[in-house]
Amino acid sequence: MKPVVLSQDITGRIAALRETKKNENNKKVAQFGGAYNTDDHGFICFDDFKFTPAYPEGYEIMFGPRCIGENLKRFFAEMPVYIHPQSALAGAWAGFFNRDFVNIGLRPEDEPKHLYATHEKYGLNPGIGGMNHLGPDMEIGFRLGYPGLLEKIRHYRKKNAPAGADFYAGEEATVEGILAYIENHFHYAQKMAAEATDPWERENYTNIAQSLKNLLEGPPKTFRDVCQFLAVFQSADRTYFGGGGLQQLDELIRLYYEADVAAGILTDEEAVWMLASLFYNDTHYSQLGGQSPDGTRELTTPISFIILQAAHELAIPHNLAVRVFEGSDDKLLRRALEYIVEKGTGPCFSLSKGIEEGYMKQGHPIELARMRANVGCNWVALPGIEYPLQDVTRLNMGFVFHHALEDTMAGGDPDLDKLWANFSKHLLEAVKCIAEGYDWHYEVVSRNTPELVLNLFCHGPIERGVNCANGGVDILNLNVDGTALATVADSFAAIEQRVVIEKKLTWEEMHKTVRNNFKDAEPIRLMLKNIPRFGHPESLALPWALRIRDEFVRQVNETPTPKYNIRVVPGLFSHGEIYGYGKNLPATPNGRFDGDPISHSNEPDPGFASGVVSFSPSLKATAVAQAQPGMGNSAPLHLDVDTNMIKGAGGVDALIALVHTHNQMGGTRINLNCVTAEQILAAHENPDAYPDLVIRVTGYSAFFSSLSKDYRQQVVDRYLR
Amino acid sequence: MIGKIYNIQSFSTSDGPGIRTVVFFQGCNLRCLWCHNPESWAMHPPVSFIKESCIGCGACANVCNPRVTDSTACTGCGRCAEICFAGALARPCRELGVDALFTLIATDKPYFDNGGGGVTFSGGECMLQPDFLSAMVEKCKANGIHTAIDTAGHVPYEWLARANPDLFLYDIKAASPDTHKALTGVDGLLIWENLARLVEAPFPVHVRIPCIPGANWEEIPAIIKRLKKLGVTKIEPLPYHRLGEGKAAWFNQEARVYEVPSESEMQKIMNEVPL
Repeated sequence: MKPVVLSQDITGRIAALRETKKNENNKKVAQFGGAYNTDDHGFICFDDFKFTPAYPEGYEIMFGPRCIGENLKRFFAEMPVYIHPQSALAGAWAGFFNRDFVNIGLRPEDEPKHLYATHEKYGLNPGIGGMNHLGPDMEIGFRLGYPGLLEKIRHYRKKNAPAGADFYAGEEATVEGILAYIENHFHYAQKMAAEATDPWERENYTNIAQSLKNLLEGPPKTFRDVCQFLAVFQSADRTYFGGGGLQQLDELIRLYYEADVAAGILTDEEAVWMLASLFYNDTHYSQLGGQSPDGTRELTTPISFIILQAAHELAIPHNLAVRVFEGSDDKLLRRALEYIVEKGTGPCFSLSKGIEEGYMKQGHPIELARMRANVGCNWVALPGIEYPLQDVTRLNMGFVFHHALEDTMAGGDPDLDKLWANFSKHLLEAVKCIAEGYDWHYEVVSRNTPELVLNLFCHGPIERGVNCANGGVDILNLNVDGTALATVADSFAAIEQRVVIEKKLTWEEMHKTVRNNFKDAEPIRLMLKNIPRFGHPESLALPWALRIRDEFVRQVNETPTPKYNIRVVPGLFSHGEIYGYGKNLPATPNGRFDGDPISHSNEPDPGFASGVVSFSPSLKATAVAQAQPGMGNSAPLHLDVDTNMIKGAGGVDALIALVHTHNQMGGTRINLNCVTAEQILAAHENPDAYPDLVIRVTGYSAFFSSLSKDYRQQVVDRYLR
Repeated sequence: MIGKIYNIQSFSTSDGPGIRTVVFFQGCNLRCLWCHNPESWAMHPPVSFIKESCIGCGACANVCNPRVTDSTACTGCGRCAEICFAGALARPCRELGVDALFTLIATDKPYFDNGGGGVTFSGGECMLQPDFLSAMVEKCKANGIHTAIDTAGHVPYEWLARANPDLFLYDIKAASPDTHKALTGVDGLLIWENLARLVEAPFPVHVRIPCIPGANWEEIPAIIKRLKKLGVTKIEPLPYHRLGEGKAAWFNQEARVYEVPSESEMQKIMNEVPL
C-alpha cells in the first residue's frame, strides 16, 4: 500500500499536535528535575490539579481493591478535561495515580522484610508488588463497551456472591470513575462545540461529543469510536498503574476501518489523523503484522500501513513494533525501515522464531505462541490471558560474580573451576530468593494493589472474582531477567586470558587490583579490559557468556516458587538502567571501575571489536542472537546504525536482510536507530538544540533531549562502539 | 599459506552487491594522494601510534627504546604493541592462514545469504598477495560465498585472471598517464590495459571512480568516455570523503585533504554514467 497522500489541512493538524507535545514535554522534564528517563509518557501537566487521597484509617499508604477503587473513581471524576483543538479525540491523563498523587503500595505488614538482606546482597529487583506488566485484550472492551463492563462486573458480583466483596467493589468503582471521566469530556466537547466559531472546529467537537456519547451508551460503533475508546483506556491504564500495553493494533481496529471506509464515512487520511491523535494521547505499546493463530493468514493489511504512517507523520516517540516471521511479506518491514532511515527512528521489530519457539519450550502450543504480541518495552505477552510480570524483576549477575570472586580468593589456591563453582552457588542463592519473593508477591499483591484497570480487559478476573495475578487469568508465568551478562563473561575471560593462560598477573595481583578499584594500576586495568571481549568472534568470553546464560536458564527453570510451585521464566534484559545497576557494584575484572555501568541486557559492551576486526551491526547482532535465553522472552538487540553506513541504494535491503537473519538465528527483538555519529554527538553536547530528535533508548522511544546525561551517554556509547 | 590482513569490516553496503564483509589486505603499490588508509601501504609496516590513547606508562620503553625516542627507527617487530594494553601502539596488520580468515568471513554467511552479498577482498592492494588471495577466493566460492576483488589493477594480468573472483571492483583514478602518475605514483598504462583484457575476457567488472575535486575531478568525463568505449557497462562514481583523515598522523605523515563534492556535483557525474 502506498503512503496516504495527506492534505495540508491534515498535515497541519498533526504538526500542531507535535508542537504541543514538545511543549508539554519541556514542562514534564522541568517538573521531573531536568530529565525523564523512561517511556515518553503522554500525560499533560495540569498544574492546578490536586487530589486529596482518602487513606485507610491508621495508614499513610493506600492499598486494597475497595479503597483504591473508590479513590480512583473520585480521581477519574475530578481529572481535568482536555481536548487538543486539532485532535480527533478527547482526553488526557494527568500523571501516575501511584507516583504523582497518592502513596500506594504494600501495607507495611505485607513487606517482605525477611528477604531484604538477600536483595541487597545480590542487587536484586525482586518484583514483589510489581504491577501492570501484562497485556490487555481490548476486544473485550470493544464488544461490551464501558457500560457493558460495568454490567459484567455487577452480573458476576451477584453470581459469585463472594464473602468479601472488596474485589468487585474496587472494579465497579473503577469503571464508574472511567464513565464519569467520559461523561465530563462529553459535556466539555458539547460546550466547546457550542462556543466554537470556526466551522471545522465546531464540527470536530461535535463529532468528538458524539463518539463520547456512543461510549457512554454502549460498545464503540465506528472507527472514531474505537480510537476514542482506546484513548480513554490509555488514559485510565497509565493513571492506574502505569500500564502501557495495547496489543495487535491493526487487527484490533481493522474491521471498524474497513466498515467505515466501505460506508463512505471515513477516508484514509482521516484515519491517519485519528491514529496520530491516539499516539499523541500516549505511547502505549502495540504490534503490527504477524500471523493469525493458525498460521494461515498474514495480519498485515492496509490499516497496518496507515497506523505506521500516522506514527511517522506525528514524529514524536511511539512504541509500535512490526512483527517479522520467516516468509513474511516484507512490504510492511520495508516501509518501517524506510521511515527509520528517513527520520532516524521508528518502530521496533519483534521476531517470531525466537519468541515462539521459546514459548513452546514452556509447554504452550504454537497457536498461542503466535498470538503473543508486543505489549511492553521489549516484551511480548498473550493479551488478556497471561500474567507474565516481565521486565520487572532483575537479578544482577555482576553481584553474583563479585561474591564468587571474593569466596574463591578467601578459600585459597584459586582457579577457574572454583570461581565457576562459587558463581553457580551464589547464582542459585539469588535465584531461590527471587522464587521465594514471587510466592510472597502471589500472596500479597492482590490484597494490596490489584490490577483494577487491566482486570477489565482480561479473560477471567471478573468472571472468577480474582485479580489476574492470583489465577484470574489462565497463564501465570512469572519472569526474572538476568543482567550484566557481558560484564561477567568478560570478567571470566579476562582472568582466563591474563591470569591463567598468559600468566601476566597472578590471581592475587588481579584480585588486589580489582579490590582497590584499579587505583594506581591503569596499565593492569587496561590489560584486563582490552582482551577480545564478548562479541569479538575470537573472544574467550563467548563460551563464558553461553555457559553463564545456560546456567542461569537452567537454575531458573529448575527453581519454581517453593510454596505455590509457580513457574519462573528466565530472560536477559536490563531495561535502560545500566547505570543504576552498576552504581553499587564494586569493580570487576573486566576493567570496569566501581560504580560504572554494567553491560546492557545480553549485549556486548561498546568497544568489543578490536584488532583487525572492526565493529559492525552484524557482529553485534550475531553475539546477541547466540546468547538468547531461549524461553520466549525478548533479549533485545540495540542496533544503532550510523546512517553513513547504509545511505546507499541497498541500505534498506541490507537492513531487511539483517532483520531476517537475526530472526533466523533466534534473535527476538531489534531496537533500531539510524542517525549519524556526528549528529548524536552534537545532540549529546547540546540536547536543547535538537528538540525533534527521537531515539529508541531500549524498548521504549523518547525525545533525546528529555534524557539525563547518563541515559544519553549509553546511546552515544553504542554509536561509538 | 599466510596472508597479511589489516582490517576486516563486515556489514558493508558499499563494496559490492548486498551485505559484504570487506577484507583489507596489507601492502599497496600505489600512493594515491587522497588515500584513506595509509596504514595499508607498506608490506612490512611500522607500528602505528595513536597519541590520544597513550597513558604514558612507559612499558614500551622497556622493550624498545628507539620506539620512544625515534619513531622512524621502527622495524615493525611489534614487541612494543604486545605490551601496550592502552592500545596506543598497534601492529597494523595480522598474519592469518586461509582457514582462520575463512572462519572470520563465514561468520556472516547467514547475512550474505539473506542479503545477496558475500566477501570483498580489498586493500591496500589485495592482488599483491596473489597466491593467498587465489586460495581465499577458491575457498569462499567452494563454500557458496560470493567473491569480489577490489583492485587498482597495477599487477600482471595473469594474477588477476588466476584470482578469478565472481566480480572485479576495478578502481580507475585518472585517464591520462601524466595525471595518473602525479596522483598515484604510476602512469596507469598497465591498469588500463588490464581493464581492457578483463572486459574482453570477459570477467564481470564494475569500475569505480573516486571523484575528488582538486585531484582528478577534471579528468572524470574523459575517464567515463574511455570506459564506455572499452565496453564497461557498470560504472560507479564514488564521492571523496574524509573519514580516514586522522590516520596519517599515526604514521607521522602529513594528511592531504580535499574538498568533498556536493550532491549536485556528483549528480552531474552520475548523469553521464550508464545505468
